[in-house]
Amino acid sequence: MRTTKFGIAGIALTAALALTACAGGEPDNGTVKLQMVESLTNPARTDVIRGLLDDFEAENPGITVELVSPPTDQADQKIQQMLQSGTGIDVLEVRDITVGPFSTNGWLYDMTDDLQGWSGWDDLTDNAISQTTYAEDGKTYSIPYGFYGLSLFYRTDLVEEAGFDAAPTSWDDLLEQASAIQDPEKNRFGYAFRGGSNANSNVVAIITSYAADKINVDNAFELTGGGTVFSTPEAAAAVKTYFEIFKKASPPSSVAWGYPEMVEGFSNGSTAFLLQDPEVIAAIQQSSSLTEEQWSTAPLLVGASGKAAQPVSSGGWGIAKATKHPEESLKLIKFLSEGDAPITFAKENSLVPILKSAADDEFYKVGAWESYLYMTEHPDVYIPVTQPRTVSWWTEWAQKADTEIQQVLIGKMTEAEMLASWDQYWTEKWATK
Amino acid sequence: MGNEVALRRGDSASPRRRVFSGRHGWTIAAFLAPAAVFVGLFIYYPMISGSQMAFRNWNLNNLTDTSWVGFKNFQAIFENPDFGTILSNSIVWVVASIVPQFLIGFAIALWLRRKFRFRGLYQALIFFPWAISGFLIGILFRWMFNSEFGVINDLLSKVGLIDQPIPWLADPSTAMVAVIVANVWYGVTFFTIMILAALQSVPDEMYEAAALDGSSKPRMLFSITIPTIRTTLALTVLLRVIWIFNFPDIIYAMTGGGPANQTQIFTTWMVTTTQRGDYGQASAIGLLVIGVLFVFAAFYLLAMREKKEVQS
Amino acid sequence: MINHESATARTIKFVFLGLWLVITLFPLYWIVITSFKEAGAIFSYPLTYWPTTFSIDNYVELFAKADFGVYLGNSILVSTVAASVSTLIAMLSAYVLARFSFRSKGAILMAFLATQMIPAFIALGPLYLLMVNLGLVDNKIGLMLIYIAVCIPFSTVMLRGFFANVPDALEEAAMIDGLSRLGALFRVLVPVMKPGIVAAFIFNFVNCWNELFLSVTLMNRDENKTIPTALNGFISSFNIDWSSMSAAAVLTIVPTMVLFAFASRYIVQGLTAGAVKG
Repeated sequence: MRTTKFGIAGIALTAALALTACAGGEPDNGTVKLQMVESLTNPARTDVIRGLLDDFEAENPGITVELVSPPTDQADQKIQQMLQSGTGIDVLEVRDITVGPFSTNGWLYDMTDDLQGWSGWDDLTDNAISQTTYAEDGKTYSIPYGFYGLSLFYRTDLVEEAGFDAAPTSWDDLLEQASAIQDPEKNRFGYAFRGGSNANSNVVAIITSYAADKINVDNAFELTGGGTVFSTPEAAAAVKTYFEIFKKASPPSSVAWGYPEMVEGFSNGSTAFLLQDPEVIAAIQQSSSLTEEQWSTAPLLVGASGKAAQPVSSGGWGIAKATKHPEESLKLIKFLSEGDAPITFAKENSLVPILKSAADDEFYKVGAWESYLYMTEHPDVYIPVTQPRTVSWWTEWAQKADTEIQQVLIGKMTEAEMLASWDQYWTEKWATK
Repeated sequence: MGNEVALRRGDSASPRRRVFSGRHGWTIAAFLAPAAVFVGLFIYYPMISGSQMAFRNWNLNNLTDTSWVGFKNFQAIFENPDFGTILSNSIVWVVASIVPQFLIGFAIALWLRRKFRFRGLYQALIFFPWAISGFLIGILFRWMFNSEFGVINDLLSKVGLIDQPIPWLADPSTAMVAVIVANVWYGVTFFTIMILAALQSVPDEMYEAAALDGSSKPRMLFSITIPTIRTTLALTVLLRVIWIFNFPDIIYAMTGGGPANQTQIFTTWMVTTTQRGDYGQASAIGLLVIGVLFVFAAFYLLAMREKKEVQS
Repeated sequence: MINHESATARTIKFVFLGLWLVITLFPLYWIVITSFKEAGAIFSYPLTYWPTTFSIDNYVELFAKADFGVYLGNSILVSTVAASVSTLIAMLSAYVLARFSFRSKGAILMAFLATQMIPAFIALGPLYLLMVNLGLVDNKIGLMLIYIAVCIPFSTVMLRGFFANVPDALEEAAMIDGLSRLGALFRVLVPVMKPGIVAAFIFNFVNCWNELFLSVTLMNRDENKTIPTALNGFISSFNIDWSSMSAAAVLTIVPTMVLFAFASRYIVQGLTAGAVKG
């Protein structure tokens, strides 16, 4: 009978523990505990944020901040669950693709009034200031922590070997150089093509660059004269070049490549070109297959227009509407957005920073960052454009576009059909809005 | 002897001994109570409460209007042009995974029944795939099947089976093969453990008697082993069908359902639908999955029961 | 005993078993090797099947940088409690479902079976709210309770199958000898059914051990996280940290392998001939 008793005792104990757990609560000793949730989690980034929070706590003795760092793949779902339940979040990461849904559902705290007269405004770059306003309703739900932007990572040695004296500057150059370098026999490939998850981002980058003269910079999918960019002859020319690059100069398996495979393909030395965000810099610097002299970055490729549309994408920090501590939360947001904190965060995560002062920072003038500086200094060629990433259907669009790109890659759809389908999609979305 | 398969309603057919006859309502209720409380509170209540999403306009991207829409979400599923592909992928995924899992698992269990040196060690080693999560298996195999840097192509070319790397996950004709290979690798263990445990209930005397009668080995397999552990076999297959059908992890991590939906099954479809925020439609897919599996389970159990009645 | 296995049969058997061992172990080998490679060496081409230098940096870092020891402890605690309690509860329900005939039995069985068909995400929203109301979010006990509930149905269905293989004369005799029903169940049936119970426990343990979705949703603080959360933490949207992850994976697999090694003895222990004759 011992086993039985043990078992029953076990169940009873569990139940009792469960009940006592209900009684627990926050210690009430005057300190405020904030819960902050990040979503683009990785261990190194978590360490950086934790460090900043420690500084914040030191400056504000009455406040402690608990950082919640869910694995990035599951983070959005968890955050939605928490926001929906109205518990557990004070401060959170708000990205351009989540601000739409979160604010529509009334989950985000509007900081517009609280930030009036905030001293930090003067230090922000124009880009950063424009990102603080959510276009749909003109309110401020978040302050950006940094920007992503594309540049071309390339292998200086392979380009030279193939007889070229400089990195490609246009998509046509890329096609030419990548085709020359491609040699599958030696396991050497031209371009780290993206056919898997988020394939749409690079396709759109080339299309908007080809049609750079025609697009609305505040909504890169729209033409200044109305209609979608996908209906233009420039778009057709762009995808033709782009899929040529796949056929002639990319690894066959790149139909399925997402971010890790692309970065891996470049950093292990088998592919010569990679179009990516600055975050990759750190990953490649750690690679033992490539030495410092073997690679560099070049500005984003220009299209047939001679210009490139640089998609500005960002993330930031915001406050949950359900927070019980809006004042303390605001303090934290301000702390993260002024002084040293935003610079530290941007540097450690390889992001384009939000403060003007960074322009004088040596860090951003050398090595892989040079090309970013160059692009910032030539905004007439490298036009910063905003994609409609804040619309609530963005993820739906991304999924649809990714699937159709794969269909083109495996020959189940033509390029023209794909563009027509995209044109129709956005035309309908805009009409019903 | 108690060889009946799961759902026999009121099996009064077998003669009941004294301790099982008469009124035992309270005993039955008391024994079932703990399970009922847990399952009711933490599984059925949230599930039923959550299913209403399937009949509402429930989109996380905009929860300001969550009105009831009847069967609209279900209609959208059936009208999706990829529905046919997803249906056939799901069937291929289940059948092509379970048949090798069953055969290999059964064979290993039979062979492990007899003692040999290092059997314990062998067992512990081959059980290990079950110890890894489906998601991890998925990303591990995604790298192994990578055409340029993957170890599988590297090995195949070293052995001389291929002279050009196969883009496993990028080619629609091989992507399904790759995900199924990963799943078979993972799932054999379950069959081995279950069958091995069940084989312990087959008394050696039965084999000895059959051997005296001059029965051949294959004959013993079909006349003794299989009938004796039928309950377990039937149950194991049923559970595996349900689980595999319901198991997006490996495919999701390896191909995300691609290329171009060629490895999309119902549950990965549900996951991707969730990701774009359409919880209404995703729940509808979920309920559809439950419905399909429920009907399958009912027919399966019915068939098993009839087969048994024919035999006895 | 039937001990005349032919030479050919033996050869086939061992060739097959050997082949399967190689197939099974290769991915494990690959993870282990990767975990001992120096940072960066993972990405070298051509592939190296045997690293020139073994480095334990990845493991050291796991414990230094991440609270891996804490996660490991949490996983062991949560999985052991949940697997034990659920196996115990399931034994009770499986027993009556195997031994008694009553009207709603079919429906109850089907209700257990049907839980296996439910995709977790449908239930997630209401479950989360329930846990918020119970004050059990970010609480190990909360996670245990849910894991117990999740494990019960499968173990009930499975154990019922094993109960059905054991003749009911056994506990009848024990009860006639004066034991209570519970006494008969635990004193007479449990020893006979050890292989099945051990198997059920293992499956429950492993299911809890690997569960990611609920754990991520319910746990916030590092001190409450379980191993799968930590493993997935090495995958960022931009990169997979293969070095740390493979080291973590190896450490994740070790406890379950020890469990398997320990338990497999019981699984193949077999029954004493006398106990089974029904």
